[in-house]
Amino acid sequence: MTPLTLGFMPLTDCVPLVVAKHLGFFEKWGLDVTLCRQNSWATLRDKLHANLIDGAHMLAPMPFASALGLGGQAVDVVTPFVLSRQGNGITLSNHVFEECVGKHTAGIEYSLPLPASRLARLIDDRAQIGKKLTFATVFPYSCHFYQLRSWLAQYHIPIDAVNVIVVPPSKMVDAMKRGDIDGFCVGSPWNAQAVRSGIGVTAVTSCDIWPAMPEKVLGLKRTWGEENEASVVALIGALREACAWLVPLPNRFEAARMLSDKAYLDTQLDVLTPSLLGSCLTQVGQNPRSVPLYNLFGQENGTHDNCPSISQGEWVLNQMISAGHVKEDVRSQSFIASVFREDIYHCAVNAQTMHPKSEEISV
Amino acid sequence: MAFDSCLQVLLIEKDAEKAQKMINALDPEKYSVTHLSSGSAVFLRLVEEYQPDLILMDVESPDRDIVESLSVMSAANPKPVVMFSQNEDTDTINSLVKSGVSAYIVGDVDPTRVRTIIEIALARFDEHQQLKNELASTQQQLTKQKTVEQAKIWLMETKGLTEKEAYSLLRKNAMDMSQTIEHVAKNILSVATMLDM
Repeated sequence: MTPLTLGFMPLTDCVPLVVAKHLGFFEKWGLDVTLCRQNSWATLRDKLHANLIDGAHMLAPMPFASALGLGGQAVDVVTPFVLSRQGNGITLSNHVFEECVGKHTAGIEYSLPLPASRLARLIDDRAQIGKKLTFATVFPYSCHFYQLRSWLAQYHIPIDAVNVIVVPPSKMVDAMKRGDIDGFCVGSPWNAQAVRSGIGVTAVTSCDIWPAMPEKVLGLKRTWGEENEASVVALIGALREACAWLVPLPNRFEAARMLSDKAYLDTQLDVLTPSLLGSCLTQVGQNPRSVPLYNLFGQENGTHDNCPSISQGEWVLNQMISAGHVKEDVRSQSFIASVFREDIYHCAVNAQTMHPKSEEISV
Repeated sequence: MAFDSCLQVLLIEKDAEKAQKMINALDPEKYSVTHLSSGSAVFLRLVEEYQPDLILMDVESPDRDIVESLSVMSAANPKPVVMFSQNEDTDTINSLVKSGVSAYIVGDVDPTRVRTIIEIALARFDEHQQLKNELASTQQQLTKQKTVEQAKIWLMETKGLTEKEAYSLLRKNAMDMSQTIEHVAKNILSVATMLDM
């Protein structure tokens, strides 16, 4: 057994790691994995850079940020595996939502997902009195920030028409409750938590903004991967099995139970389960929205959904460039291919076809 | 002002006892400490208002991402950050320090050590900022030279000018239009791109 330590943030989309651990997929592939819960993306990143953890559940833009030295020293971090797609949502405070749709209208006329055009008037009204709406996201180099930007841009609202601040996911709901923020873009289960607490309305999900783009990836240091090739193959093997196990809907509730454990999310099932079952809670007293692909972990229809393809890497990097986080001249196929390592993924999958197929594992 | 030499420190710590220990370790004559039990929007406002010289926090604080975002997403200038940690051994800390974090304070808070670490962190931060600024200005200078160089080449090739004549033409235009040579060169290049299409 090879001992490995993987860092994760307590969010629904760390579930492939939790499933691989609990259902013995890591063990089957010869890995003795310790999952180590982290409190911030920055410290998770520093620990990966400093070899204190071997791999990490990372925001898809983070390996690019590491490679380019954004917010720290430049360290070659690569991803050979996409852990999840979608899973984020934008929640508006009740007050702002009511302003958007007109609160006193009987049988309010609106449908979800809410177009950002509904916000435009509010933003203008605030601007008249020298104010701005404040939105929170979880990290500067995050899909959340870029999705918020894209959502607003669909109606030509520039991101600087609103204030954007960073708030840790676990503090989003409190920050909204206190009135510090008017809206946020965050991953599951925090949108559902805001709705259950009766303080916000989930207006739009990441599926409505960017369908099927990578959300979390497995991040490894390039040098570590080169020195531990067998472990990389085993990690990819175990995680592919975990992601495949997560495809049938009946397994999703079991996954929610594993996640609710103290060691992981330490959260109640009524908040954790909906997104995993394709249900987006919208507002207290309203029916949830059906969003079948809310949390996507891959391999649906037998396609290589966990493959970090260069085209998807390019999509992520383009978001960083258009937000002004990365300079235009960084964009090159060779740079993207040096971070989104579909070659490692394919090599591992090919190596796995040699591996004897194991018996089914049950919960 | 009387307190000009006093260092403004913003301490983020939710555990009141730990925070007090840290405050006690800092000489009040030299450090003026503002304590916050948690981050979020209030915190950002404080950073902008007080412009602290230093932020002091636990490496395991969830608020670390807020601090991290300051230099990217807010108007506030980057601040040196000193992080303390009680769980990590010295090797761990050394590797984290190498990975770019300003400084770490390990184990129990010892007043003399805290002061030394803070002083080193500030010095390192200044040095780092200076290097960063130098790099940025060098890069800017290089881009400027490259633009002028390209515009000169274009003029030489299309107008049959010598290098000297091309440069004089750029300079004359810049003076006539009260613009920088770089600006004129940029305009020429954008026209050139259009014509070459």
